[in-house]
Amino acid sequence: MTATRTEIFSAGIVEAGLGTVTREIPAGEPPPWPPNAELTWIGKDVPRLNGRDKVTGATRYTVDVRLPGMLHARFLRCPLPSAELRKLDTAAATALDGARAVIALARPGDRLRYAGQPVAAVAALSPGVAAEALAAIDAEFRPLPFVVDMDEARAPDAPLVYDEASAPKGNPSGFPAAPGLPVVGNVRGPAVVRRGDPAQGFAAADIVVEGEYRTQVQTHSCLEPHAIVADWRADGLTVYMSTQFTSGVRQELAALFGLPLNRVRVVVDGMGGGFGSKSQLGVYGRTAVELSRLAGLPVRLALDRHEEQIDAGNRPGTFQRMRLGAKRDGTLTALAIESHGTAGVALGAGIGFFAERIYTCPNFETLQHDVFVNAGPGCAMRGPGNTPGAYGLEQAIDTLSERLGLDPLALRDRIDPSKARREERRIGAERIGWSRRHKPGADPGAVKRGMGVAQSLWMSNVQTNVACEVRVLRDGSVEALSSVQDIGTGIGTVMAQVVAEVLGLRPGDITVRIGDTEFPPGGPSYGSRTTASITPPLRTAATRVLAELGREAARMLNAAPEELEAREGRIRVKSDPGRSLAFRDAAALLRTDRISAVESRADDYPGFRRRMPDAAMAHEDLGGVQFAEVAVDTETGAIRVERVVAVHDCGRPINRLLLESQVQGGVLMGVSYALLERRVMDRRTGLMVNADLEHYKLAGVHDTPEIEVVILENLQGNSATDAYGIAEPANIATAPAIANAVYNAIGVRLTSLPMTPDVVLAALGKTGRS
Amino acid sequence: MYDFEYLKPKALAEAASILAGDGDAKALAGGMTFIPVLKQRLNKPSKVVDLAALGLSGIKVSGETVEIGAMTTHATVAASADVKRAIPALAKLAGNIGDEAVRHRGTIGGSLANNDPSACYPAAVLAMGATIVTNKRRIEADNYFQGMFATALEQGEVITSVVFPVPAKAAYMKFANPASRYAMVGVFVAKGPKGTRVAVTGAGQNGVFRHKAMEEALAKNWSADAVAGVKTPADGLNSDIHASAEYRAHLVGVMAKRAVAAAG
Ligand SMILES: Cc1cc2nc3c(=O)[nH]c(=O)nc-3n(C[C@H](O)[C@H](O)[C@H](O)COP(=O)(O)OP(=O)(O)OC[C@H]3O[C@@H](n4cnc5c(N)ncnc54)[C@H](O)[C@@H]3O)c2cc1C
Repeated sequence: MTATRTEIFSAGIVEAGLGTVTREIPAGEPPPWPPNAELTWIGKDVPRLNGRDKVTGATRYTVDVRLPGMLHARFLRCPLPSAELRKLDTAAATALDGARAVIALARPGDRLRYAGQPVAAVAALSPGVAAEALAAIDAEFRPLPFVVDMDEARAPDAPLVYDEASAPKGNPSGFPAAPGLPVVGNVRGPAVVRRGDPAQGFAAADIVVEGEYRTQVQTHSCLEPHAIVADWRADGLTVYMSTQFTSGVRQELAALFGLPLNRVRVVVDGMGGGFGSKSQLGVYGRTAVELSRLAGLPVRLALDRHEEQIDAGNRPGTFQRMRLGAKRDGTLTALAIESHGTAGVALGAGIGFFAERIYTCPNFETLQHDVFVNAGPGCAMRGPGNTPGAYGLEQAIDTLSERLGLDPLALRDRIDPSKARREERRIGAERIGWSRRHKPGADPGAVKRGMGVAQSLWMSNVQTNVACEVRVLRDGSVEALSSVQDIGTGIGTVMAQVVAEVLGLRPGDITVRIGDTEFPPGGPSYGSRTTASITPPLRTAATRVLAELGREAARMLNAAPEELEAREGRIRVKSDPGRSLAFRDAAALLRTDRISAVESRADDYPGFRRRMPDAAMAHEDLGGVQFAEVAVDTETGAIRVERVVAVHDCGRPINRLLLESQVQGGVLMGVSYALLERRVMDRRTGLMVNADLEHYKLAGVHDTPEIEVVILENLQGNSATDAYGIAEPANIATAPAIANAVYNAIGVRLTSLPMTPDVVLAALGKTGRS
Repeated sequence: MYDFEYLKPKALAEAASILAGDGDAKALAGGMTFIPVLKQRLNKPSKVVDLAALGLSGIKVSGETVEIGAMTTHATVAASADVKRAIPALAKLAGNIGDEAVRHRGTIGGSLANNDPSACYPAAVLAMGATIVTNKRRIEADNYFQGMFATALEQGEVITSVVFPVPAKAAYMKFANPASRYAMVGVFVAKGPKGTRVAVTGAGQNGVFRHKAMEEALAKNWSADAVAGVKTPADGLNSDIHASAEYRAHLVGVMAKRAVAAAG
């Protein structure tokens, strides 16, 4: 048993009034932090420390990495949605002047299951020669029947994407899929979650609401493509990769190539987005390393935009059938959902745990199915499952509130147990001016305005296998190190704030070194867990280094180490601040060039709700409530989102500027999902029609609403920093909030995404459906 | 891109003779369409003849006409005080083409030679009854457009300018493709020396066309209500991933109504 001690923590939502909670914590943990108002850097608007590098173009992204002698790699991809590889002759490609390595990724006789599936790869002196080498590969494909539409794939006579034996058992992106489910035709499942007795619940209901909702396939569309530069050498492998998880990729590489971990290094500097699609090594990563091994030279492999659209992951499309039973006062008696979703040739197309967890409902059932189609594999994408799931359920709740004659906020006050969301509804309603909201379709004129609300829910994830190091050098400079990567959220700045807070320095005084497996293993940047995982051990490490420095300073100041504090760049005696030493002068007393402390993530103080290998889930889920105001042109069908108020919680906010920027990004991605983005597959050819960014439209500056962000300070005394994440919750509520606002504007409910102008007009009965 | 020879002649006659003498030679204006076509290897020209040094850019306004040189960029037209005064609808149309980069490279000559079925200028040219001037002849708008990406231009024929008769009333309304800003549907209405005319772009399977039913309605009664009552059949209109023919037919009505209202 480790020694423990008892501490009293501030707890509750600062905006709604604080209480305390008493916790027994490991003896080595730092003392509780007070609310942010009493802290110097935590919770403050500290601008991104690497912001200047980003806007001036100095940031080095993986695509910018150039190594001496570096080769350029490209894929030969299957041109058909379903085919048997008849012949693959790479002799001419290998013989081509300038080609350095050619590998086959499929064998004659193999079944290829989507257009874009890699078949072979080459590495050559230039991208041009690589293209020529690809053209020199003699490959023959025998076309096979295919199906790219989910509804068609469910038909009993649909061409089979897999037979039972070959069907995948899990999801290649690491997003969990329930194991051991039956596969019938192209349909796998159902994965069942049940509690209580739904039939009885519906029998007891005064009102039953039914609805069908459809969501589209969305591609990740990272601005920086998937890219890797692999450098295989006799003494070890170095990989520069745009990745959300340096340590994870290192482990994958070591296992795959039979290398000890200490011979594999993974590096990432700047990252231009990942959103879940850069969580693993992937086929492209593995291929680049293999080509480098064969050629004995560094190999660069970066996907182009077309490849990004067809084979770099996507958010699965879904079809959801929903039934909701309630008492007249709003109390839910039953909720039953059946969903079918498609992640192409992969699994993981469910609607998440949103409905399971968000509202109090004793009788509950979800049946979730995966449907295979001949399209590129889906993978986790910002709030996977819950984002499409919320689109359905939050509209059903809106419908229920209308049927009950209750305000949607009042209904949620009755059925939503979350204290944070209650406060978020209150604040958001005030900010958006909810009292101005009119009856559905009541706005006169051709352009109708409306207001809607929807809620968010995500897990408070924690990576438990996380470490970091803090060093103080003899000149007083400070370094913080971890292999954790900055996916674009600004985690380096957050780390500098935490260390600066402890050491009494400024964030700019801390040099943060991250994105390199030479440093202590940081966690992944997915599942909204980075801040929650890295900041507690970082604070502990900084506290330990300070204690060591304090011992030297104490001698000089004729005080006991416990009497000292670090503030404003000085180490001083708490009771007599005049007795002090500059931090730098204290460091000069060190007997070695540097001191350092390495710390790993401790468990949350009240334990975890659930523990998984290397990861865990905290007790309280993350919330969030978003309000949208829209203008719908009922003559053209165009929807404009004019304003979004997003109120969120993430435990203790560490940096409000960065949090706001995360929420803005989440909202913008949600607007894009709601109104614009859609992967279009041609049923006749099985190819993606809009595999670019011209016909696949992302929201841009013209489509951006005014976004107002409010972040609660929700203290629980759960860890040394009490911080959790925000990236995913920020994305989940946007599309349903817009859909509910559109309903409020025009009085007609749209039940499929994206809500394009032609869909709006068809719903208004002005034209047929396209 | 395939290999080609790049030429930048200084005289129109020289450019024309290179283009006339070699069936695989192609003219280059701002390259906004042509360069992507080359990059995608959809075209394999022997020679690329840059028209930039022929002095084909500029705007001349007389009392009754506005003449715009073929190499004049959309940005220049949009910013021209003369055009804004004479045909404000034309300046506005130019200012809403694509994005800033496209407007600074793309030209009126390139747009008309290309005759993209979703381009904006063809609607203006057809609705105002403009004249396309080439190195060989003058072509009336009604004879110029011959279906999508097809025109009356012959091999080696170079557009030098476009002459617009100044209308009494004119306006253009487009429902833009959310990404490119090309017209999903664009309607240009004009009342001028060439009559009361309505041209529709972005919608027709054969490119820009005149909407005779709306023209008749407007000739009788120039008002938004007059066109609002005219139904546009969906037959012959485009269906693609952006919109169905039926939706486009509906938009033609909405855009026409709004254009007439804007024209005053
Ligand atoms: C992203 C994007 C968005 C766009 N949005 C719009 C829009 O909203 N509305 C719109 O109307 N257009 C739009 N365009 C089209 C654009 O405005 C240009 O008009 C068009 O691309 C032609 O470009 P260019 O003038 O550079 O001609 P080029 O691309 O250089 O040439 C086009 C063709 O015309 C021929 N040609 C050029 N000049 C002449 C001449 N003087 N005589 C004979 N033949 C000639 C060339 O040989 C070539 O075949 C868009 C284009 C892009 C790339």
